[in-house]
Amino acid sequence: MNIIVCIKQVPDSTQVKVNPKTGTLIRAGVPSILNPYDHYALEKALDIKAKTGAKVTVLTMGPAQANAVLRLALALGADEGVLLADRALAGSDTWATSYALATAIRKIGQYDLILCGQMAIDGDTAQTGPGIAHHLGIPQITFCESIDANGNQVVVKKLIEGGHQILEADLPVLVTMTMPHDYAPKYPSFMAAHKAQDKVTLTWSAADIGADPHKIGLEGSPTRVDRIFPPPARPKGEMFTGSAVELADKFVEILKKESVIK
Amino acid sequence: MAKNDLTTRNLMLDSLKQYAKNRISFNFIREHDAKNEIPLDILKEMYDHNVLGVHLLLIPEEYGGLGGQTTEIYRVCEQLARIDLGIATGVFATFLGSDPINVGGTPEQKAKWFQKIAHENKLVAYGATEADAGSDLVSLRTRAEHVVKDGKVVGYKITGSKMWISNGGVADIYTVLALAPGGPSWFIVERGTPGFTQDVHEDKHGIRLSNTAGLAFDDVYVPAENLIGLKEGQGFLQAQAVFGYTRLMVAAFGLGGGEEAVETALQYAQQRIQAGGPLAEKQGFMLKLITPHYIRFEAARAYIDWTAKQLEVNNHGLATEGAIAKLYATETGNKAAEDSIQAMGGFGYTKEFPVEKIKRDVKITCIYEGTSEVLEMTIFRGRWQEHLKSRGQYYLKQADEFDAIHAQNPDVGADSVALGFRALARVLEDCRANKLTRHQYVTFMLGDLISEMEVAAVFSRQCANKVITEGSRFDLTSLSTMARVNARQSAFKTATDGMRLILGTCPNINAADLSQGVHLVSIEEKMRGLIDDMDVVSAKLREVFKK
Amino acid sequence: MIQVASNCVGCGKCVSTCPFGALSLVNRKAVPNASCTMCGACVPVCPVKALSLPASAAEKKDLSAYKGVWVFIEISDDGKTQKVRPVGFELLSKGRELANQLGEELCAVVIGDNVPQYYAELSQYGTDKIYAVNGPEYHHYNTLAYANAMVTLIKKYSPSVVLFPSTYIGRDLSPRISSELFVGLTADCTGLSVKDGNLIQTRPAFGGNIMADIKCPDYRPQMSTVRPNVFKKVVTTPGKMAQVVTEAIAVPAQAAKVRIINTHIDEVSAMDKLDEASVVIAGGRGMKDKNGFALLEELAGELGGAVGASRAAIDLGLKPKEKQIGQSGVTVASKLYVACGISGAVQHIVGMEHSDVIIGINKDANAPIFNVCKYGFVGDAHQILPRIIEQIKKTK
Repeated sequence: MNIIVCIKQVPDSTQVKVNPKTGTLIRAGVPSILNPYDHYALEKALDIKAKTGAKVTVLTMGPAQANAVLRLALALGADEGVLLADRALAGSDTWATSYALATAIRKIGQYDLILCGQMAIDGDTAQTGPGIAHHLGIPQITFCESIDANGNQVVVKKLIEGGHQILEADLPVLVTMTMPHDYAPKYPSFMAAHKAQDKVTLTWSAADIGADPHKIGLEGSPTRVDRIFPPPARPKGEMFTGSAVELADKFVEILKKESVIK
Repeated sequence: MAKNDLTTRNLMLDSLKQYAKNRISFNFIREHDAKNEIPLDILKEMYDHNVLGVHLLLIPEEYGGLGGQTTEIYRVCEQLARIDLGIATGVFATFLGSDPINVGGTPEQKAKWFQKIAHENKLVAYGATEADAGSDLVSLRTRAEHVVKDGKVVGYKITGSKMWISNGGVADIYTVLALAPGGPSWFIVERGTPGFTQDVHEDKHGIRLSNTAGLAFDDVYVPAENLIGLKEGQGFLQAQAVFGYTRLMVAAFGLGGGEEAVETALQYAQQRIQAGGPLAEKQGFMLKLITPHYIRFEAARAYIDWTAKQLEVNNHGLATEGAIAKLYATETGNKAAEDSIQAMGGFGYTKEFPVEKIKRDVKITCIYEGTSEVLEMTIFRGRWQEHLKSRGQYYLKQADEFDAIHAQNPDVGADSVALGFRALARVLEDCRANKLTRHQYVTFMLGDLISEMEVAAVFSRQCANKVITEGSRFDLTSLSTMARVNARQSAFKTATDGMRLILGTCPNINAADLSQGVHLVSIEEKMRGLIDDMDVVSAKLREVFKK
Repeated sequence: MIQVASNCVGCGKCVSTCPFGALSLVNRKAVPNASCTMCGACVPVCPVKALSLPASAAEKKDLSAYKGVWVFIEISDDGKTQKVRPVGFELLSKGRELANQLGEELCAVVIGDNVPQYYAELSQYGTDKIYAVNGPEYHHYNTLAYANAMVTLIKKYSPSVVLFPSTYIGRDLSPRISSELFVGLTADCTGLSVKDGNLIQTRPAFGGNIMADIKCPDYRPQMSTVRPNVFKKVVTTPGKMAQVVTEAIAVPAQAAKVRIINTHIDEVSAMDKLDEASVVIAGGRGMKDKNGFALLEELAGELGGAVGASRAAIDLGLKPKEKQIGQSGVTVASKLYVACGISGAVQHIVGMEHSDVIIGINKDANAPIFNVCKYGFVGDAHQILPRIIEQIKKTK
C-alpha cells in the first residue's frame, strides 16, 4: 500500500502577532511549524504504516526552507519526501496549488491513499484536499476524525453537521483529517531526527512534474485581491470602570435593563 | 552518517521545546524548586531513546550515539537553560562526566562505558572538585594507591572526598580525579562500589532541580581497567583539553537563562500599563533594563557560535576563547536576570513569575566550571602572552583589520572596534612598561576588557560577513544596529576603564597623554546617534517579542 | 515577485500594507524581497499605480453569457426528517440583493430526494427560479454525485455567481466544483457585494486584523462559501412561487466508491448548541485556565446560555474546537453575547458581531473587543464573574 501525505509549512499561529497600527501580521522572528492538521494526518498515515507496512511519502510545496517539515515527517517515520519548489509557483491560490500538488502526485506515481490536513491554519480554506482529489479523478472524504485502512478499503469517522458518519471507501481515495482539540503533535527523538537526514528527499521544479504553466502561479489562480482594509470602526458603547463589586453590580443592572433577567 | 545539518539541529531543538512544553510546566518546576527536589524521572525520560535521547549527542557514533557537533550541543544547552537550569545542569553533568572517557579513554573503555551510558540511560557525574581544589586542581587530595597482585598493578584503592558534585547523589557512573603514584588520573567508579558513599543533597541558592552532593571514598577498590587511558598522570591534560569546550556550554547556559528572564520581563512590560501606555513603550524603561542586555545576548550568541565553529575544526583547545565566551555570557545573563526582576517590580520579586528563580539559577553559571575571576585571570594570561610575543602588535593588527572592514561595511561598528582595540593595545603596553600587572586587580580587569573587545569584534565581523547566527530571531539590519551599539560601548569601557587602572596604579603617567593614547575623544565622538540606535533596537525587540 | 514601475514615488504606502513584510524602501523606491507571495494586496494602495502583478498571458474570455445568482440549498437530515438548512434562506436573501445589483435572476439549486416539498419555502426570498435534481439516489449527500449534478447544471445554464453554505457539506462540495470548472472560490466570506459587474467577496485575510476584498474578474461563475448566521434571512415575496426547472442527472458510477455505513446525530441540548443559543458566554485567553471557564459555565447555566471560546482559548485546549466562535469556527447571532477575557481579533469579531447586545469584560481598556460592545467593563473577569453569578442567583 502506498500513502502520500500532503503537508504545509505555516507560521506558528500561537506566536504570530498583529501590528496594531496597520492590522497586518508581524512575521519577524516567528518560527515556522508543520501545519497541525497535516501533522495529525501524518501521524494517522504512520499508524496505518505500522499496521500494514505501507510506504509513506510526504509531499510539500513551498520555498527551500519547507524542507524542514519534510525532515520532521521523515524523522517521525515517513519513507520519502518530495519538495515542490519553484518561483513559478509563487502567487498560487488554492486552485493552482491543488493542481500543482496533484501533478506532483502523478509523477510520484503509485498511490492508494492520499491524506491531507483538513486545512492550513494560515489560510483556513479547506479547499486544497478536494482540489487534489478532483485533479486526480478520485473520490474524497473530508473532515475525518479517525481512519483505518486495509489493502483495499478505508473506513473513516467523518464529522457532519451536528454529529458524525462512518463511511467506507474503495482505494484509491483522498481523505482530509481534522484533529482532536487537545492534540499534542508528536516530535521525533534526537536519533530519529539524525537518521532522517539520510532518507531520500527529492526536489522538483514545475517543469520536473510537467505542470502546465498556465495552471500554476498567478496565471493558474482565478482569485485576486481587490483591496485590503482595516475592519470598519463603529461607535463605541458605554464603558465602565471601578472595583470588581461595582462592575458586577452594574453588569447585573444592565442584564435587567436589557430584559435578560427580571 | 553525515554530520547533522542545520535543519536537523533545529528539529532536535523543536523536539526538546515540545517535550518541555508537554512535560515540564512552570508549576512543576516551581514545586520542585520549593521542595529542593530533583525530577529524576524527567531526566531519565529525556534520556529515553524513543522520547528524546539527549545524552546520545555526547556519545560518538561508533558507540551508538550521535557524535554531536559543538554547535548542536551548545544550542541544546541554551535551550535546556531556557527550560530550567537545574535540569540543564543534570543533563550537562552527564556530558561533562563522560568527557574524560571521550578525551582519554582507550577504544575498549569507550566501547564498554559509552554503550552502557547510551543504552542503559545511565546518569554520569564528574568528580573533580574538592574542598581545597576547585578550578585549581593542583591541590588535589584524593589519592589512588596501587593494589598489587603477583607483582602487577591489578587495581587501585581510592581514598578522599569530593565536593559539590552535580548528579553526585543520583549518578550511576562517576569519573573521579585522584592522585595516583604516577600523577593525577581519572578513574571510573560505579555507584554501589564498597566504600563509596554519597552525601546528602545540598540546599542551594538556585538550580534546585539539580542534585548536588559530596562524595566520600574510603578505600574504594577499582580494577586497573577503570583507569582512564590505562596510564597514570594524564589527569590534568585530560581535564584541561576540554575546558574550551565545556566552558562554551556554560556560556550557553548563561545566555539561555538570561534570554528567558528578559523575554519574560519584556512580554510583561507590554501589558503593564503605566502613565497611559505600556511600560515597554517607555524609553527609559527599555534602555535601562531591557535593550542593553539583549544587545549583549546577540553579541554573546555570535561569539559562542563562532567559537563553536572554530572548535569543530580544531577539536580541542581554544581555552582563552572558551573562557571569554563563558565570562561574557554568564555575567551578562546574571545581570540581565537581575534587571528582569527590577523590570517587573513587585511581580518580579514574587515566585508567581519565573524571573526570580532564573536569577537564583543563573548565578551558578558565574561560579561553576571556573568562576568569573578565574576566567578573567585565564583570559589575561592567554592574551598577555600574545601581547608580549607580538611586541604589542597583537591588537594593533586586529585594529587595522577592522578599519578595513569598516571601509567595506560602515554599519557594523567596525570603526569603534578598531578604536577599542587600539585603546586596549595601549593599555596593555602601559601595563607592561610600568609592571602594573603586579596588581592582581589589574589582571582581572584586563581579562574583562579583553573579553569585552573580542566579543564586540566577532559580533561586528559576523555582521560584516552577513552571518545571522543560528538561533537568532533578528534580521541582519537589526543585528548590525546592535553590533554598532555594542562596539561603541565596549570601546568606551575599554578606554575609560583602562585609564582608570593605569592612572589608579601608576603615579608618573600624564592623564591627558593617556587619554590621547587610548583615543578617548575619537571613541566619544562615535557615541553620536547611540541613543537613536538603541531606540531602534527597542522597537525591534517589542516587535519580535510582542505579547 | 510584484513588479515596481519606474514611476514609484517612494511614498511607502505599500510597505506598510504588505501582509508579508515583503516590501521595503531602498533609495526611495519600493523593492520586493523573496517573501513576496504575489498576493497583490499592495497593488490597489499605490497612489501612482506603480505596482502590478505580472500580466496574464491568457486571453480574456467573453464572460457576458454568464448570468444568474445561484444558491446551493443544503438539506439537513437528522435521520428522521429532512429539511432545508436555514443558512440556505440567508444566502437566498443576500443573493437577492446581489441579483438586483447585477440585474440577474436569483436561483435556488436543490438536490435531494422528494425536493418539491421545499419549493414553496424556497420561493419566499425573491427566488426567480429553482433548479431541482430529484431522486432517491440523491437522498444522502455524496460528494461525487452532487458535484457531478452541480457541474452539469452550471455548464448548461452558466450562472455568474454560485453561493454555498460554509458547512461540512458546502466545504466538501464547492472546491470539487471550482477545481473542475477552473474558477475561483473564496471561503467563509463575511460580506458580498457587486462592483463593476464583479462579485466582491470580503473576508478577514492573512491572519491579521485586516479584511480583504477578493474578486475573480476573469472567471465565471464566481463562487463563495458563507457560514451560517452571517447574513439575515429576509422574506421578500411571501406566497410567490418560483419557476421550477427539473433536470434528470444520472449519478456517476464512481460515486459508489464511497459508502455510508451509519450516521450519528448527537443529542445536544439547546444549551450546548452555540449557533442557536440566545445567550452566549464566550471566553478568551484572558480566562487563563479551566477554572476560568468554570465561571463562564456557571454564568451560562444561570442565564440559560451556551459557552463558546475564542481561537486563542481553543489553542490553549480550554474548549474543544467545535466551540470556537469566529472566522474558522461557529458564527453566532445571539440576543446577548458576553465576551470575557477576549481581546477581539477580527477573526473573532466576524463570528459574533451580529449579536444584539454585546458585553465585553477585559482588563485592557484598549482591547479591540470594546469597539463592538454595547457595554464594556474594564476589569478582571475572574473577580467580577463570581459576584455577578451570586447576584443573579439572588434575583431568582
